Amino acid sequence: MSETAISVGQLTRRIQSVLEDEFQRGVFVEGEISNFKLHSSGHRYFTLKDDEAAIAAVMWKTRPLDFLPADGMRVQVFGRLTVYAPRGNYQIDVIKMRPAGLGDLQRILEERKRDLAAKGYFDWQRKKPLPPLPTRIGVVTSATGAALQDILRTVSSRFPAATIVLRAASVQGQGAAADVAQGIIDLQSANVQVIIVGRGGGSIEDLWAFNEMPVIEAIYRSGIPVISAVGHETDETLSDLVADVRAATPTHAAVLVTPYAVDDLLRGIESTCERMETTLRLTIDGFRDMAESFLDGRAARRLDERVKMRVQRVDDVQTRGERAITTTLHRLRDRIEHRMTVLRTLHPYRPLEQGYAVLESAGKIVAADRQLIVGESVTIRRRADITTATITATHNE
Amino acid sequence: MAKKQEQPSIEDRLRRLEEITRQLEMGDKPLADQLAMFEEGMKLAQECRDYLSAAEVRIEKISASASSQSNTSSESDES
Repeated sequence: MSETAISVGQLTRRIQSVLEDEFQRGVFVEGEISNFKLHSSGHRYFTLKDDEAAIAAVMWKTRPLDFLPADGMRVQVFGRLTVYAPRGNYQIDVIKMRPAGLGDLQRILEERKRDLAAKGYFDWQRKKPLPPLPTRIGVVTSATGAALQDILRTVSSRFPAATIVLRAASVQGQGAAADVAQGIIDLQSANVQVIIVGRGGGSIEDLWAFNEMPVIEAIYRSGIPVISAVGHETDETLSDLVADVRAATPTHAAVLVTPYAVDDLLRGIESTCERMETTLRLTIDGFRDMAESFLDGRAARRLDERVKMRVQRVDDVQTRGERAITTTLHRLRDRIEHRMTVLRTLHPYRPLEQGYAVLESAGKIVAADRQLIVGESVTIRRRADITTATITATHNE
Repeated sequence: MAKKQEQPSIEDRLRRLEEITRQLEMGDKPLADQLAMFEEGMKLAQECRDYLSAAEVRIEKISASASSQSNTSSESDES
């Protein structure tokens, strides 16, 4: 016994330095969480174990963590080994932690995908087309999520005439798959023309409900076209594959269900109205031409009256149409009146109004080149009177 | 079987409007019919305008039904 005894503190310090030297680059370990405790301070304490061994672990609250650990969960951690001298134990100071199930989930996903593909769940032939102009749009998503806000904003700006029928569902965690599935079923009887089912982006675990069989089945059996809008463009879920249409994002889904913006539709209606008016104007023009070629002025006027009476009824309904027609009718009447004026100008009695007289004989106007005969009885027609006279002499010039 | 007696959808009305316009353009109907069609078309156009001019999206919320109480999903009993 030449050696001198060392103190417990010295021993522990040596153990500490050996451990820290040995594992100075940190350790990367996979194991199962047990005895997980989230302390009120925000620090997390748990044991990492497998079939052979267990090791204490701590993850300070300052270390970012994007999932909620639970007992029984397989995780991979990266950290440093530290020794806690007062209790003489060692532990992992966890810097990063992620679920170890990633590989498992990916494998389950691939297997399920192959299986469903073989059963024809993803067949193109059975995909339903989207309705061209849905006015009632079913949405299954979280009532508080960004997806709903994106959808509402997009539909509001493009097609505010629509109604969003929201079936709020939890989209993540325990019971999410069943809730989403039931949501799709509930919307079957909500008189909607299309259903958007989805959520915003997240990890494969966050999106996992959309890989679960209840959701797949509900989409597969939906009588109403379903758009799957889960996560970002790069996230592919089985819901995306079984849905009738896959949207890259919830916003994209909202664009798909509003293929025609309201402004475009209103412009279309205006141009349709213009086409109708133009056509009717042309039709009436046609009738006018017929009237002019086949009927005399009086009959044309009667037609004018008849058309006008009918148009009157239209007037009651539609002022724009009325304007188009009455414009045409006014033009028609003007034209007929113009014609009448021309006719009146050509009328033999027209000169009377300017102070001339017309000479008639035996009820007929005496043409300028007819020789009058001495003793012939003629009538002198002036504007205000008619005089009978006898020719007493003629003088040829 | 008992389908609700609803007024035609906006889609149906827009389609009818287009059809009326096409028929007017063919111009092979008597004037009285054409005027009647014109009248209907203008009325439809106004209805569509009114409908489309809604200011804001309406939101209807339907609550979760317990899967047991809902008998509407008879087809999901298949498997």
